[in-house]
Amino acid sequence: MGEPARLWRYHGAWLLACLPLPAVADAEQLVTTVCAPCHGADGNGVVAGVPRLAGLQAVYISKQLKDYLSGKRRNETMSMVVASLDESDVPGLAAYYARQQPARGEVRQPALLGSGKAMFDDGNVDSGVPACVGCHQEGAVGNERNPRIAGQHQDYAIEQMKQFRDGKRTNDRNKAMRIVAERMTDDEVHAVAEYLAGL
Amino acid sequence: MIGGAHRPREKTVRKTKSRRARAIVGLAWVLAAAASSANGPAAPAAEPETMWNEMQGEKLQALRARGDPARGEIAFEVCQGCHRAHGLGRPDGSYPRLAGQHDTVLIKQMTDVRAGRRRNDRMLPFIERHGLGPQDIADIAAYLSRQSVPPDNGKGPGVNVGTGETIYQDKCASCHGTYGEGDGERFYPRVSGQHYKYLLHEERDIRAGLRANADSRMVERVKPLSDAELDAVADYMSRLPVTAPR
Repeated sequence: MGEPARLWRYHGAWLLACLPLPAVADAEQLVTTVCAPCHGADGNGVVAGVPRLAGLQAVYISKQLKDYLSGKRRNETMSMVVASLDESDVPGLAAYYARQQPARGEVRQPALLGSGKAMFDDGNVDSGVPACVGCHQEGAVGNERNPRIAGQHQDYAIEQMKQFRDGKRTNDRNKAMRIVAERMTDDEVHAVAEYLAGL
Repeated sequence: MIGGAHRPREKTVRKTKSRRARAIVGLAWVLAAAASSANGPAAPAAEPETMWNEMQGEKLQALRARGDPARGEIAFEVCQGCHRAHGLGRPDGSYPRLAGQHDTVLIKQMTDVRAGRRRNDRMLPFIERHGLGPQDIADIAAYLSRQSVPPDNGKGPGVNVGTGETIYQDKCASCHGTYGEGDGERFYPRVSGQHYKYLLHEERDIRAGLRANADSRMVERVKPLSDAELDAVADYMSRLPVTAPR
């Protein structure tokens, strides 16, 4: 046995024990104390109006957390919560929720599913609303540039679309969501949110 | 930002812009002269090509940039909600097919919309300068021009196709090509594979002078045509084979 291997064998465990806690454990601890009370440990949170995070793209979660930290995105609760976070916590938290399994959402108004699906697949040609599928992909699963919105809570999805429409949320890339939401009626917002919830 | 890695090249382009602009404007004049001599008296030489297609600013920058189709595919994502996947457009004519269009034509139209030379209130917010630069426009054009054109475009009613053919081959083919293949070097769009209702809509807008960035020579040729004749031409164009030699 070579010298380095022998050293590792005798002292490796001690060396490992002396290292600072790995990032994963940090993230899980933070999730338990900071995030889970609202978002759930599995990211399928049940508090009304609080977004589901399970399966969201890590790059998207990271951007939102950083935007909350910098004040680019504002929300009374989240702005308070992120005060206990540091930018170095962001990648671990984003990776944690990105790997959680998204559960199917709950449809409340099945009557809206048809018009919601039409909105998602085709948009509204008369008013110039693009189809959501163009960016958010088939099945609303998103990609590295556009978040997963499948299974999202209706209340949260509706609130975000309205915030984009009213210019209260402004951290969308190239203003895309603001332009889209400005063209949507309340009925269209509600229908598409219902459709997404059922995905 | 998309295109960020290409900024240095844009800078270089900007530096040499005026010289290149003069060169390309000169080339455009030569082309215009050649076109008018080839087409005989029907194409008035008095109308300089630069009136409808000035070679300056970001149009020139985008034309000089080497478009990257892979980056273009990503940049095009936000356009897909309307123009559909691969830029196939919608058969109802609400959004044109962009797949297989000449990259020069796409660059001209995108930069014209941005600059207000072609008015399109619906598209403008998406293509304004807050997100896209000339490199992105070149990338999108490179991506779209490489997309194949399936024969499933929206077709006309097929009742006056013969009339449409006669008018098209007499008045339109000298620029848009016998097969509707267009001419990328002269910024004349491909019309084969395009949706009938979109073709008809644009014909009418051009005749009414509503499409401000149209070639004035085309406006003159379209003006005397009746609604029925425009319809017949659009119908014929929508039936041109998409596999024709380009």
